[in-house]
Amino acid sequence: MNKDASKDMSLSEFSARALEAAAQAGIAPAEIFSNSSETFSVRVRGGKLEDYKVSDRLSLTLRGRVGERIGTASTQALDEESLQLLVAGVRESAELIETDEQDDILPPDPAYSAVCNYSEALDDVSAGDKIALAMEIDKRLSAADARIQPDATVVASSGEETILRNSLGLSLSHRSNMIYAYASCLVKEGSQAATGFKLLWGYSPEDVKPWDVADGCAKDALEKLGAVRMASGAYPVVIRNNAMADLLSTFCGVFSADNAQKGLSLLSGKEGETIASPLVTITDDPLMPWGLGSSPFDREGAATEKKHVVEGGVLKTLLHNRKTAKKAGTKTTGNAAGAGRIAPSNLFIAPGDRPLSDLIAAAGDGLLVTEVSGLHAGANPVSGDFSLLARGFEICGGEIRRAVEQITVAGNFYQLLRDVTAVGDDLLFEGSPVGCPSVAVRLLNIAGE
Amino acid sequence: MISHMLTQSICEQVLARALRRGGSFAEIFYEDSRTFGLSLRSGRIENASTSRPRGAGIRVYDALRSIYVYTCDVTPAGLLRAADKAAAAVMDSRGSGRDVVLHETRPADLHPVARSVFSVPAADKAQILREADRAARAVSPRITQVTAGLIAREQHVLIANSEGLYTGDTRTYTRLTCSAIASDGTENQTGTDNPGARMGFELFSTRVDPAASGEKAARTAVTMLDAPYCAAGEMPVVIAGGFGGVIFHEACGHSLEATSVEPGMSEFSGKLGETIAAPCVTAIDDGTMPNEWGSENIDDEGLPTTSLVLIENGVLKNYMIDRLNGLKMGMAPTGSGRRESYAFAPTSRMRNTFIAPGTDDDEEMIRTMGDGLYAAQMGGGSVNPATGEFNFAVQEGYLVRDGKITSPVRGASLIGKGSEILMRIDRVGKNMTMGQGMCGSRSGSVPTNVGQPTIRVSRLTVGGK
Repeated sequence: MNKDASKDMSLSEFSARALEAAAQAGIAPAEIFSNSSETFSVRVRGGKLEDYKVSDRLSLTLRGRVGERIGTASTQALDEESLQLLVAGVRESAELIETDEQDDILPPDPAYSAVCNYSEALDDVSAGDKIALAMEIDKRLSAADARIQPDATVVASSGEETILRNSLGLSLSHRSNMIYAYASCLVKEGSQAATGFKLLWGYSPEDVKPWDVADGCAKDALEKLGAVRMASGAYPVVIRNNAMADLLSTFCGVFSADNAQKGLSLLSGKEGETIASPLVTITDDPLMPWGLGSSPFDREGAATEKKHVVEGGVLKTLLHNRKTAKKAGTKTTGNAAGAGRIAPSNLFIAPGDRPLSDLIAAAGDGLLVTEVSGLHAGANPVSGDFSLLARGFEICGGEIRRAVEQITVAGNFYQLLRDVTAVGDDLLFEGSPVGCPSVAVRLLNIAGE
Repeated sequence: MISHMLTQSICEQVLARALRRGGSFAEIFYEDSRTFGLSLRSGRIENASTSRPRGAGIRVYDALRSIYVYTCDVTPAGLLRAADKAAAAVMDSRGSGRDVVLHETRPADLHPVARSVFSVPAADKAQILREADRAARAVSPRITQVTAGLIAREQHVLIANSEGLYTGDTRTYTRLTCSAIASDGTENQTGTDNPGARMGFELFSTRVDPAASGEKAARTAVTMLDAPYCAAGEMPVVIAGGFGGVIFHEACGHSLEATSVEPGMSEFSGKLGETIAAPCVTAIDDGTMPNEWGSENIDDEGLPTTSLVLIENGVLKNYMIDRLNGLKMGMAPTGSGRRESYAFAPTSRMRNTFIAPGTDDDEEMIRTMGDGLYAAQMGGGSVNPATGEFNFAVQEGYLVRDGKITSPVRGASLIGKGSEILMRIDRVGKNMTMGQGMCGSRSGSVPTNVGQPTIRVSRLTVGGK
């Protein structure tokens, strides 16, 4: 028998022991954050179940004050050795840290709002049902068009519970789950090849209907066939909702007060100023029902609330934790993400009232961008500059003319916000807590041939 | 000694339990790791943390289907429960109820470690970051921000499988990360340098000078601050060695992994023995290089690591193959099965992957290129393996006019298709150097080296403004 492993404790026993050990070591106040998750996923390829994955996972972090500073250490093993590692780790961490930019450990807020993104019924959906769903998507995709070669179809579900406790009487927990399905395919015609992708998600198998996934994937690939390159130049550009969400997600750090205070965002000190087109309103809503990023409390245990970051083009607030709020003389916005970091919850550009077809018609001669890639390399979150491989459709006389590929779209995110000329009505969260409607932009630089 | 992690007898019980209802192969991957991270920003230590990731993954092949169950509960009862979950998914009942007998093997250690980061006093670790910070700030008053990080990881693994394997290894990684921002008040530019190796704290007495690393990051940022935007178009491009090898890694390396070759999702599927690159191109994936960032003793399936010729004088020689894709392809695995942690089933991945040294002269290739771009420092990139389309950022680029390097340019990116760029390489220099990266794919993020000598591509699309 394994000596160490056989001594593992339950989560509640270990948490209590860790808080005790911290108190004895002079770590006060102290906090335990734990995250337990369960996932299930299957992948189908060529009519066959290819991959079957099940997991349960746990991680636990001890934070606590030693003298002036707050130290941090974490573990996935709930045994005696970990108790010692956590206490020693918190002490070494507190000894090394020289800044005050740690999340504070405080008593609970007076009240927390309720928000639901957990479906009990989803926990009862069987493995067999999820496999059948994946098979059905794959089958429909194969039948959709003779030119289509389905790649992989994945159906997955996950659930997690976070618990935050501290020695000052705070005790919070939040539970969430979700299901998602996606399919990818390759389509070949002559020397042309293109890939298709479609993802749907929700809280019930009803949210990921096989036909919607398969048809979406096939359509995505087929409409890219016959793609050509475009002449280089500056064009009016419509960025489709999914691609705009990828951009906002990459650059959302510009709204972090921590980045602003450290000179890593050009929005520092710009509250109250116009930083975007009057058509642009950007909202962070942690209390959005059934939102992927919803939670009644943040990583510091602060109660969360809905707020406009940008309203009618004016920067209303940056996203704060307690430390950055104190520095700026304001109150936290409930966006602490741990380790002094700040992150949005559900962040989105508020939809306008015009359909995508209107945006395309108004663009005249230009480009509809449907896909951007290379965001981790081609986008500089500090300067706002981006130069990204893109795909999309050429717009001629206000109508889609043909697919384009192998182009780069270059610009600057700050400038892009100012250059928005229309906002679509098609707000989309594509399996991410950052969502966008389609957006029309005055001009962006396209490099093609 | 690996039995302090999981005893042979527990592994035998768990593997037999996983194969209770059938299945052709079962495996346990157990890990108990220590990580340390330290970061400095605005001249002060901002973050210091340790963690202990621990868990186990159990894999069963059900015919050619992979079943993977992982858990943080590594008590015998927890592991048997995970084995039951895996067994419950098995459909092919052939070979059920087999006994498993294990034999311990110990791999030779090709990558000795002199000094564990976990035994180094806190102040000495902080000192490394202060040296990098000071050197970066000394480059120019326009350096407004420096972020430096020290990352260390000791991964203790045990791998056992139903073919009798019972083995283990300790992988030690140490890395410095430096990022400098130069600003003129309205605009910011970033430069980075992130050297690392499969070794301990001796990294800083043998291979990496923190001050040199900070200075290099700062110089790139300052140079780019003064640079005008790069003009877009097609042109010859010379790509410097070291991290310049990311272009081969992304545009070609991923397409030679069985993960994309086996299902026919790679442009190089079915092309063994064919010419896929210019004759001056030989490319290698080598896990044996002593103490290199992407090196191994055994892969994450317990097989000894290897050195593999991918392309020889332009001809495709080998794919990188993991065990399961090997079964599907009818080919032997190449010791290329890798995974980020127990939370991932392994798949074929790169290790230290580079274009081998050639015979050309660096100076000559620029002198004879006419007008084009010199990419002195590459950023990251991505690729669609099915079509080979890639996109790389050029972190530090220079315009070449009439065979002479002239002004720096910013915002350039290189785009194209992997199969095309391989054929268009027309010069390969003599000195191969490598750079470190974390490579992301289906089995998570793993340390890999990219590398090459200076090379020239006769024609490439440069994206810019």
